[in-house]
Amino acid sequence: MAPDGDIGERLRALSGGSAVALRLDPHEYADHYFAALAATLRDLGPDSSSMTIYVSVTNPASLVWSLAQALDVTADRLWFVDAISHIMMNYRDPLPNATYIESPRMLEDMMLRVEYLLRKYPSPHPTVVIDSVNSLAIHNPPDLLSEFFHILLNNLKSRQVLTALLVVSDDTTSALDQMLALVVDETIDLGRRG
Amino acid sequence: MADGALPGGPASEPPGERCPSGIEALDNILGGGFPRGHLVLVAGSVGTGKTTLTLEFLVRGAERGERSLFLSVTEASSKLRQNLSTFEFFRPELVSSGRLVFVDIPVVYEKLGLDHEELTLEEIDLLIRAIQGLVTELKISRLVIDSLTSVCYRIRREERIRDFMLKLSQVLADLNCTTLLVSEIGQASGRFSLHGVEEAIVDGVILLGNTRRQGDIIRVLQIIKMRGTSHSRAQYVVELTPIGLLMAPHLKGGRQEGM
Repeated sequence: MAPDGDIGERLRALSGGSAVALRLDPHEYADHYFAALAATLRDLGPDSSSMTIYVSVTNPASLVWSLAQALDVTADRLWFVDAISHIMMNYRDPLPNATYIESPRMLEDMMLRVEYLLRKYPSPHPTVVIDSVNSLAIHNPPDLLSEFFHILLNNLKSRQVLTALLVVSDDTTSALDQMLALVVDETIDLGRRG
Repeated sequence: MADGALPGGPASEPPGERCPSGIEALDNILGGGFPRGHLVLVAGSVGTGKTTLTLEFLVRGAERGERSLFLSVTEASSKLRQNLSTFEFFRPELVSSGRLVFVDIPVVYEKLGLDHEELTLEEIDLLIRAIQGLVTELKISRLVIDSLTSVCYRIRREERIRDFMLKLSQVLADLNCTTLLVSEIGQASGRFSLHGVEEAIVDGVILLGNTRRQGDIIRVLQIIKMRGTSHSRAQYVVELTPIGLLMAPHLKGGRQEGM
């Protein structure tokens, strides 16, 4: 198995505007999740010129932020779009670098918050991380989700934004896999590194 | 259509100067902005963003050096000016330099001595001339009346509202002043103005409203009509942010809706 740094290297090799699926093995979820965070938040950005927007649907932004801090990621250029804290009634201490959406069903709001952050904090090499496709699929019907990803990813592609979608393998339907095959340019399987 | 032009393509747009709203997504779906000198109704129920949209139209215009006037009927202009500070792109110099002007219509009523509850024909003419005078003297190229509904409450009779609208439309078109008229409507009124007369006369109608998906309320915008432009007829979700109004396509997920 290759070191985690290899994932970051593969992501860096992708051209701006690419969409990549990061497949996590459910049997090694904790390790893979941490590796995905290290690759997207630490290895890929934020550096001095890049910004990362982390759309959290699986875990509250506060939890992801604490993991990011363990990776020595600073808050300067990391923004969260948190779509889960409200629905989990876990909205007591909002992060200063997070914007909150009431429910993971409000997909247009997710698009608009990402748009807002991209406009407000222009960056030459922005990255958007969506955590995760599976969580979005729990709250949204497949047709709606397909339309969401199609519009969002095309929009981000046209703006040269690198997008990473976290996907837990074995936990997806064939419809979801087909949709992902249509919208992403590359898949990195964290269970098959090296 | 010009030779080789495709329906809906850029070359199919008829010639004519545009007045960009400054709201990027709105200008995109309008083919560059409102046709200059047109009268456009911005209709919606309470809390749908009508005043915010019209304020942004004026501030963005003033930023471009176009003199902009907000005629307020329902809310004191001092309060509206305070609300402007929520826009990150607003600069107080726009007001102090006279590029962005606020006038309270009740003050105009008072100056003109329009104290009848229902305006007479002569009083309606006086009001139109007063608006014409303000636009001419201040060299206004962008105007907002918030709200047309409140003005029409004092005109009351449909035939007089029609007359008022026709004259106002003519006067402002002659002055090449692009005008947004705020129209307050109920959630399910089925029309875009108080009497239905107003929407027939204006050049364009923008509808703001709320829709529901699985119980969640979503704020949406749709262009109902815009003469002289092949605009989008799709529905968009809007968000009012400190950097201005943002829009995204309203996702349907394959749902079919009846007409």
